[in-house]
Amino acid sequence: MISVTPNTSNVESLDLANLTPEQTALEIRNLNLHYGDAQALYDISMNIPKNRVTAFIGPSGCGKSTLLRCINRMNDLVEICKTSGEIRLHDKNIYDKNVDVAELRRQVGMVFQRPNPFPKSIYENVVYGMRLQGVNDRRTLDEVVERSLKGAALWDEVKDRLNASAFGLSGGQQQRLVIARAIAIEPEVLLLDEPTSALDPISTLTIEELITELKEKYTVVIVTHNMQQAARVSDQTAFMYMGKLIEYADTNTLFTTPAQKQTEDYITGRYG
Amino acid sequence: MAASQRAELGASNVRLIKDKAARWGVTLGGGLVLMALLLIFFYLLYVVEPIFRGVEVEHQQSFAVPGQGQTVAMGMEEQSEIGYRFADNGTLSFFALTQKLGTDWQPGQVLLTEQVADSPTAFAATQPQNKRYAYAVAGGKARIIEPKFRSQFKDGRRLTTPVVGFANEGELIQVDPEGRTLSQIAYEYNGESQLFAAVTADNQVIVNFLQASRSFLTGTVELKSKFAELPINGQVDDVVVTPDLTQVFVRQGNRFYVYGVSRTGTISERQLLNIDRRRYGEITSMQLLAGASSVLFGHANGLVTQWFEVAGENGRQYQYIREFQAGSSAIKDIVAEYYRRTFYTVSETGEVGVFHTTSEADLYFSHIDNVKAERVVIDPRANTLLMQSGNELHSFKLENEHPEVTWSGIWQEVWYEGYPEPQYVWQSTSGSDDFEPKFSLVPISFGTIKAAAYAMLFAVPIGLAAAVYTAYFMSPGVRKVVKPTVEIMEALPTVILGFLAGLWLAPLIEEYLPGIVATVILVPLAIVAFAALSSVLPKVWRNRFTDGRAALILLPIVAFVGWLSFELSPWVEQALFDGNVRQYITNELGITFDQRNSLVVGIAMGFAVIPTIFSIAEDAVFSVPKHLSNGSLALGATTWQTLTKVVLLTASPGIFSAVMMGLGRAVGETMIVLMATGNTPIMDWNIFEGMRTLSANIAVEMPESEVGSSHYRILFLAAFVLFIFTFAFNTVAELVRQRLRDKYSSM
Repeated sequence: MISVTPNTSNVESLDLANLTPEQTALEIRNLNLHYGDAQALYDISMNIPKNRVTAFIGPSGCGKSTLLRCINRMNDLVEICKTSGEIRLHDKNIYDKNVDVAELRRQVGMVFQRPNPFPKSIYENVVYGMRLQGVNDRRTLDEVVERSLKGAALWDEVKDRLNASAFGLSGGQQQRLVIARAIAIEPEVLLLDEPTSALDPISTLTIEELITELKEKYTVVIVTHNMQQAARVSDQTAFMYMGKLIEYADTNTLFTTPAQKQTEDYITGRYG
Repeated sequence: MAASQRAELGASNVRLIKDKAARWGVTLGGGLVLMALLLIFFYLLYVVEPIFRGVEVEHQQSFAVPGQGQTVAMGMEEQSEIGYRFADNGTLSFFALTQKLGTDWQPGQVLLTEQVADSPTAFAATQPQNKRYAYAVAGGKARIIEPKFRSQFKDGRRLTTPVVGFANEGELIQVDPEGRTLSQIAYEYNGESQLFAAVTADNQVIVNFLQASRSFLTGTVELKSKFAELPINGQVDDVVVTPDLTQVFVRQGNRFYVYGVSRTGTISERQLLNIDRRRYGEITSMQLLAGASSVLFGHANGLVTQWFEVAGENGRQYQYIREFQAGSSAIKDIVAEYYRRTFYTVSETGEVGVFHTTSEADLYFSHIDNVKAERVVIDPRANTLLMQSGNELHSFKLENEHPEVTWSGIWQEVWYEGYPEPQYVWQSTSGSDDFEPKFSLVPISFGTIKAAAYAMLFAVPIGLAAAVYTAYFMSPGVRKVVKPTVEIMEALPTVILGFLAGLWLAPLIEEYLPGIVATVILVPLAIVAFAALSSVLPKVWRNRFTDGRAALILLPIVAFVGWLSFELSPWVEQALFDGNVRQYITNELGITFDQRNSLVVGIAMGFAVIPTIFSIAEDAVFSVPKHLSNGSLALGATTWQTLTKVVLLTASPGIFSAVMMGLGRAVGETMIVLMATGNTPIMDWNIFEGMRTLSANIAVEMPESEVGSSHYRILFLAAFVLFIFTFAFNTVAELVRQRLRDKYSSM
């Protein structure tokens, strides 16, 4: 049995089913997703609260990453993927026809499993998103770089070599650079897709500490394999299984008194 | 337990052997490739090397001067077995130069002596290849002698016997009708007519042109004399006539008179040249070069200057071309070779110099064997040198195979005889005997670069655009068909492309030039316009053409615009270019238009290069990791922004090597340029003119070049330059690619 230390942070618990509009970052309504003929997500409905860390856990292939990718429409890149239902950001369905996907992705940033810095300098990596929007003023960019790297807890390590290649950084540093790059354009929601699975324990710890800090400014949604990580960093946790949302509750509640049998089986290590 | 361990050890031994064998095999293979390359490299160098060698002189024989009197001229026959000598007492002596099997000849042994003129007053020799000599005798007359050699074969051996021949059946020719004694004489003949120039005892310069006219009835040749006196006063130092019987030169110190002789024998003064004493020094000797277009002056300070006619404002005028420094003492004698532009100098202090004019090669300058030379003569094949020193004759073997080639002559502008200015010229053969081969590798190297440049201009945009589209935008299903199809194009024999380019495309372009130009401009415009139109189409329409079928509906558009361009071509031609573009370009714009031009080559060779560029660039773009482009998209970049800012940057090493591989292919390509360029070695970026490339030049001329000749070796040098070209391109490409890869490769 895995020993799970629940998050002891002093956040007040929320009534997840009935959030006020001010508390809500995202509303997912009856979301279904098909890869060709295979259905990957079944009728998912959930509210993701603002300035909190929400974790998606579940065994491999349960659809947690797919759900995450729905939030910034990265699934659009898969040609055979078909989505129905709604995801509402600012009370607007992101799957509406007149939604500019690039603008959506600017507001909903994403960090992937493997660190993926561009073949450019550290500086240029951070300002990439700004430059896409046509911001080229050197002073603005300098400020953004400092703020973002500080926000990603990387500033002190790289401030003397901003023009060095990003490939010279360690894996953990690269992942923090990617986070800095994501927060440089000040998104509202930050999606983290197993951000530490390719990293060593010490880097993992640094990133986890960072995630707790990030929620002050951003709504964070994290997908993780690692239940301890979910317990450590998240405020509420969703357990998914076979494309269905089984249970969604305060992290404390979910890990100590799960309502569903499947959740209990999973967190106690019976499968997964 | 122990047994099983041993078994495992045995198994791993086999593995070890396999591993070693594989490693050796790979090393051996790589080594062999490297060795083959080095062998090619050194073989090319080995063939090329002799053209840069100097002259080697090797002593053969020494013997006493045969016959009496002072030598006035010497000569040798083709095989350098027999020499002859004219003396001032009017005798001609033939002597053996070597011992010869089947005879009792000894070097220096006199074979025949004959008194050919009685108490001569002057002597003249024609240009060496004419092999005639003239003695002036009393009464203003001259006798023309022609030393001849008769070859017989006896017991399978060639036996040469000397014969004294006389022109005019031995009759004396009346040079001066007034019968004055001639103190100097010059003589030339061109097979029929003869030209004399002479100085009489009272310092009068006379010219007598004996024009041959063949009688139609009897076939006999009659000589008609045309006589003139030249208005020159004072002591004359040299008088010379040219072998084409069109010019008479008279030298008085540093004053050089040029007289023209018309075909009817009318004499006119053409030029008076005052050769600057301070600049060039006192003239001490004078000689015509082989081909007789150039005059060489030897000067008192050891300088030899070359002068020939250059077209200018006052017609063709002799002018200073170049100089050679042959020691520091006066040039006593200059001897020209029979066929090449090589000449030999003898200085007052007895050094012999060997020089080649056009290549500006200083081949040799020294006392040969520490002997003080007074007079030298060269045999017709230029491999034996006969030298007189006091009362001794010395013969030397001469190795001077490639005097016409020097490094500077190959790569720098050379002032060839008759050209208005120094130029880069490649012209290896011609119909004329006086022709001098012109080996400048610059025009053909330029042609190679020009052909490659136009091909790349055509191939790079299309190849790269196609590669990016296929790798980045095309649906996987279509890509699976398109990529191998384009790659199969690479297997198309280039001879077919060249054939089509030369026989189908070139006339087509000539006929529909406005159409071709319009296609090049309109098709891309139409594609962009159509793409813009399609983005505003209703979504229902657009959704019908997913899966890359959108590209298919482009085809009729491209076809239509292409057809339209060609249909309108004659109308445009009529309206804008007076009905004939080719004439318009030539006459109105002053641009030369060849049917087989760079445009044809650019398209045909571009077509051959596209698959190379496409294939490598497509692989490079396609192998950009998805997580990089996803990372860019997740930051709110559009597909196009992701392509230009991340994908192309990451693929840049591969794209760069694709372009360089294409360039390497274009530089080395032979068949297409051979068949579609017209092979004119000109240096001009004009797209409507052709070119000759290094590779095509080798292919065209190698079959007709004599093995071991300068031409042959120069072609190997061209191959070597081509080798260096491709080697340099590939090395630079590899270096840049590695630097790019270090910078942009993803993990």
